[in-house]
Amino acid sequence: MLFSSISFLYYFLPLVLICYFILPFRLKNVCLLLFSLAFYFYGEPVYVFVMLGATLWSYAHGLLIEKYRDGKLGKVFLWSSVTGSLLALGFFKYADFFISNVNGIFNSHIPLLKLALPIGISFYTFQTLSYTIDVYRGETPAQKSYIKLATYVTLFPQLIAGPIVRYTTVAEELESRHHSLENFATGIRRFAVGLGKKVLLADTLGAFATALHNTANPSVAGYWLYAVAVSLQLYFDFSGYSDMAIGLGRVFGFRFLENFNYPFISKSVAEFWRRWHISLGSWFRDYVYIPMGGNRVNTLYWLRNIAVVWFLTGFWHGADWTFILWGLYFAVFLVLEKFWYNRVFVRLPKLFSHIYVTLVILVSFVIFSGNGTIGALEDLGSMFFLEGLPLWSGETAYYLRSYGLPLILGILGATPFVKMAAEKLRESRGGWVMDALEPVFLVAVLLIVTAYFVDGSFSPFLYFRF
Amino acid sequence: MKNFIVTLTYVCFTAFFAAMCICAGLNPKAQSESERRPLAQFPENITAEGLFDGSVIEKFDAFSVDQFPLRETFRGLKAHFQYQVLGLKENNGLALQDGYFAKITPEFTEGLLNDSIGRLSYVYEKFVTGKIYVCLVPDKNYYLGRDYGYPVPDYEGLVQKLQEALPGAEFVDIFDELTLQSYYRTDTHWRQEMLLGVAEKLCTALDIPAEKAYTRHTLQGFRGVYYGQSAMSPKPDDLVYLSNSTLVNCTVYDYETGKTIGIYDREKFSGKDGYDVFLGGTKALLRIDNPNAQTQRELVVFRDSFGSSLVPLFVQGYKSIYVVDIRYVMPDALPHYIDLSGKDTLMLYSALILNQKAFK
Repeated sequence: MLFSSISFLYYFLPLVLICYFILPFRLKNVCLLLFSLAFYFYGEPVYVFVMLGATLWSYAHGLLIEKYRDGKLGKVFLWSSVTGSLLALGFFKYADFFISNVNGIFNSHIPLLKLALPIGISFYTFQTLSYTIDVYRGETPAQKSYIKLATYVTLFPQLIAGPIVRYTTVAEELESRHHSLENFATGIRRFAVGLGKKVLLADTLGAFATALHNTANPSVAGYWLYAVAVSLQLYFDFSGYSDMAIGLGRVFGFRFLENFNYPFISKSVAEFWRRWHISLGSWFRDYVYIPMGGNRVNTLYWLRNIAVVWFLTGFWHGADWTFILWGLYFAVFLVLEKFWYNRVFVRLPKLFSHIYVTLVILVSFVIFSGNGTIGALEDLGSMFFLEGLPLWSGETAYYLRSYGLPLILGILGATPFVKMAAEKLRESRGGWVMDALEPVFLVAVLLIVTAYFVDGSFSPFLYFRF
Repeated sequence: MKNFIVTLTYVCFTAFFAAMCICAGLNPKAQSESERRPLAQFPENITAEGLFDGSVIEKFDAFSVDQFPLRETFRGLKAHFQYQVLGLKENNGLALQDGYFAKITPEFTEGLLNDSIGRLSYVYEKFVTGKIYVCLVPDKNYYLGRDYGYPVPDYEGLVQKLQEALPGAEFVDIFDELTLQSYYRTDTHWRQEMLLGVAEKLCTALDIPAEKAYTRHTLQGFRGVYYGQSAMSPKPDDLVYLSNSTLVNCTVYDYETGKTIGIYDREKFSGKDGYDVFLGGTKALLRIDNPNAQTQRELVVFRDSFGSSLVPLFVQGYKSIYVVDIRYVMPDALPHYIDLSGKDTLMLYSALILNQKAFK
């Protein structure tokens, strides 16, 4: 089920809220689990059993790892847990990628499995992996209740597009959490902001990007605008979903960690990745990069560690060489920054750093959004005058005129400007105006997004495919 | 306090619309008048198979959207928000310029053009032995492109394709005889009262006298196809039709029903499509007989709906005009009804229709 749908907003959510808040605390986890399964079943009727199986696998391994943690068996169960989870992910997500590459290299004809990708499998696999690894590390006790672990894994606010909530973040809240008017109101505010970001900005900028990309009269400037539009679309789509997830979590008494922190204001690529999809970056840092030695190894091993982490980061996003290329592209800049950033970049004006990071990001998202590796390279060629396109075209002008305001709103919204302005206004004498306008804003957002749902067609979140 | 107000606002808002959803679901509407389509209903026969293959859920999603309370109001809200708040030029591909709605088509679809022009070429090669004229009716989007900078498909290429497919035909260029204002604001079609210049140009090409003396009859409240699609409840158009004694005396024979009708059918105005006033709407094969004709000449017009309002402006020059819509009649069947040999032929098609699946 999509958050951005009538069935979620006016059927599912009211029902889950009523049931959740009238039930006593001891039944709240069961309530959330059942509704989360229904939520997943709505979009993936069959794969709900795959998810429950993966949870059971991690549950059993969590208990075994805890029991045998001090002996060799503990490690065996850890590897068994990790291998099993990764095999499931590999089977459903990467099998056809490997088969088609084997077919390409050896000229064989192994038939593709053509399996539909279970929605959210990349997210919940990483969550269950973090759980068993943390149990092995002694950072958290194993969960004795399958219901509670399943509630954590399947928790519908973050189930299908993250953020990757670690078990340790919500372990205490699974046992006991606080429900309050403040939590509810804060959560709903955040949910409404996320909904607005997704429906009003991400989808509009997505339409802008598509129009520029598919135009009959493309231009170099049009491709640069496409790069900006697609980057902002991805940001508002994913951060909007994260906002909704964090907001809904808060309504039910959970506090998920932030997943985005204005990544476009970064002054280096390393900083960008500390601000973009934070839960994924920190996952790879804690469960891959640091266990491999991180940066406390010689340069050669460090380069290997960087390459492995960014290969995996790219590969996590999709079973396609484009995503691997995208990940390794960032690895190159992170290595360059490691060697030259302190010597060169920090001495240059801040503006230069912003321009540098912006260019790197724009190019990265053009690769990310490309139609395969060839398509991505063609798009890049169009941006850099290699495809023989004119600098400007009438259609580029038309689309810029049409989408100019959403583009400006998107650029402003991607910076802390709006938040800072709101906070300043709130702290000033006019603070009461902000308070008075808040319910109006909430109703306006809900009305307008409802209007988009009623008028529009299916509009899935971009990160579903991961 | 402010948390209480936000919570109360959300709870009241959601409870209100959730309750309305249930009420609307209990009394579902069958049809959307504005979109001219049936609305999705609550899924019937809910089976385990249907649940697991996703079909029940798909139907429920469609139902929840189609039966949403105040649906038309919400569609209108979205359209106003897109045009007036976000400043977008289009909503669902529909542009709004100076009160005129038009579908934006940045490109013609090659395959569709090949199908439609191929069909015209087939008719031309197999049946046409007399003089042939071809006339392309531009869509509104041509004028939005020319005068307002909207993306416009390759009309030059389309004209060239037509000329190559119909090498012996005389191409009558009417593009400069029209403007955006020659069309209805809320419909795809052109306004008959604005077609005198087009008619004169075609009459000159066909070598018949042009008629200029008409009485205007106005039918108020024409809601064209874009009226509903726009969801903005724009001011309806006036539908004006032109008449004179020649036209009043003409009869129109409908080969499909075997009935004789008039050039204009005012009763059709209150039907689903008010434009059906002209020649009775969608008809496969008609013959217009002019009892007052001073000539024995006959004309065959292969046309789409745009021809319905233009053809009456040629009747003064012919004894009979055969009006054929090859979307609804197989060309090979025509000789059973009409002797095509030696007759003047006009192919009058709009770019809008040539670029549709109608000829597949």
